[in-house]
Amino acid sequence: MAPPISAVEAQNWVNVQRGLVSRDVFVKDEIFRAELERIFDRTWVFLAHETEISEPGDFVCRSLGSAPTVVVRDDDGCIHAFLNSCRHRGSEVCRADSGNIRNFVCPYHGWTYARDGRLITTTFDRHFPKDFDRSQFGLAAVPRLESYRGLIFGSWNPDVMPLRDYLGEIAWYIDPFLARSPGGMEVLAPPHRWRARANWKIGALNFVGDSQHILTTHVGPLTLDPVRAARAGFTTAAENSFQVVADTGHGCTLTYLAPGLPPEAYQTHPRELLDTYRNALPAGQFALLDRLRVIVGTIFPNLSFIETQVGPAQKAVILRLWRPVSGTEMEVLSWVMAEREASSEYKAAVLRSGCHNFGAAGVFEQDDLELWASATFASNNPIARQFPYSFHTALPYINSPETDHNWPGRIFRPADTEVAQLEFMRQWDRWMKVPDAGANVQR
Amino acid sequence: MQPVGNETYVEIQRFLFREAALLDNRQYVDWLALLDEDIHYRVTARVVRDAGADAADYAIVEEYLVGLKSRIDQISNPRLTRAENPPSLTRRFVSNVEACSGAAPGEFAVTSYILAHRSRRNVPEGGFYVAARQDVLRHSGAGLRLARRLVRLDQSTLFDGALSTIL
Repeated sequence: MAPPISAVEAQNWVNVQRGLVSRDVFVKDEIFRAELERIFDRTWVFLAHETEISEPGDFVCRSLGSAPTVVVRDDDGCIHAFLNSCRHRGSEVCRADSGNIRNFVCPYHGWTYARDGRLITTTFDRHFPKDFDRSQFGLAAVPRLESYRGLIFGSWNPDVMPLRDYLGEIAWYIDPFLARSPGGMEVLAPPHRWRARANWKIGALNFVGDSQHILTTHVGPLTLDPVRAARAGFTTAAENSFQVVADTGHGCTLTYLAPGLPPEAYQTHPRELLDTYRNALPAGQFALLDRLRVIVGTIFPNLSFIETQVGPAQKAVILRLWRPVSGTEMEVLSWVMAEREASSEYKAAVLRSGCHNFGAAGVFEQDDLELWASATFASNNPIARQFPYSFHTALPYINSPETDHNWPGRIFRPADTEVAQLEFMRQWDRWMKVPDAGANVQR
Repeated sequence: MQPVGNETYVEIQRFLFREAALLDNRQYVDWLALLDEDIHYRVTARVVRDAGADAADYAIVEEYLVGLKSRIDQISNPRLTRAENPPSLTRRFVSNVEACSGAAPGEFAVTSYILAHRSRRNVPEGGFYVAARQDVLRHSGAGLRLARRLVRLDQSTLFDGALSTIL
């Protein structure tokens, strides 16, 4: 059982003024259960990318908050998402990760549903009461399902704000990665999946704006970078980099190449695609890409994205979902993407680079996961929980966003502070404490 | 393709056992010396599919020599790795070896099973990687060399963080 509302509201988990966050929120199972109800069953959660289900009948099985969910494309090309559970006795109607189905046939007693969720037959229709209303017993549809730039989000909350409003200012920052060509991005392979002994928020915070871990956690790949350029790129990046905080808790960090560093050692967007980007994007958003080395960010609550490269290796756009499993465990899903228009050689190179750096065996990922598990292990005891985590480097900056810019959201310099992380936790705290499921949580 | 004779079979099995021992003992330089220059090394995991649907493996590692060396430079240098410092303890069990003559003279198509156990610091329960491997071994002047390796993990979700073990 999740704790009662009064108990949740009384908690002082996130102290923005003092820059402190209780360790409880990174380990305790009762808080994890409250998160499922108060955040994941109420807000927008990423389900799948449209190119994972290109053809009618294509499906993928995912989780939407606490519930197993199947996402499917119907005969008309429309996308649906359903609770993956038969309305009769509850078996999953899909038990594979992905595939293509003609109908959903429950393997238990044979209830059969169309791709759009309609109940076609129970196989014992003759025994049903005459007034049985079949239209009320289709697969339970996710009440809100919307896409943005190919990203399919769902919500169990019928009153959740429109997705575009929910994304708010962060949409402007993700367009240059997901909508920089007429065809958009495509997922190049099924998502990597792995379990990690760490709370999901550690991943979300790491991506929303944690420039401080890069030179220590990732000393390996930065040192081994073949042109010895990555480290210089980061250590000189401070002046040319910043964090963005959107009004609904999303955030990202943009790291630019410092003046004097040779772009050819870093900028690897293929020349033949740059014209495509220029044509597809408004000038302001195309300018965002110029001399950009790394963008990394999180869409609240648990979808992250990164485009980066090390040295002259290939850029790769990566999507990342941190699915909570318990207070101390998550399942991570990770997709590699490229422009649909790109050559097959380019896509293969992106996929190879994506696997080398990130994903279930990535050289960056190995060390992140080790240290997140270590933090979780060392924090998961009553003694450690007396000592809240420090977010102090947010404090000198959090009330002083840049004023001389015309990009959306609040912009904070330098990039290597914890402003975006503390703002993420502030938003988390709001969602946890708003008792009315229909309320929209804004800054 | 013809199964190899007993003498060659024993040579191949010895190669696989020696290789496993070098990796278990973290003798990475010696292991790298067993790779041919055009090595293509892949590890895949499975997508859960309905019976009858096409298999859908996805690569989690795909490297040529440069990338593989870079991975090893990272995990073999205590200053450059967090995942392998302190080092995890690994034990590789290689079995079910089948070997046939390969596509070119002096090449062998070798399949084997691998059960690799990884014991990590104070985590009480260890983790197992279970896979079938498809290798191409090649005779060089100095003995056998590994030219291709595909490690097909029998897992759709990896169990413990990101893989930092060579399989």
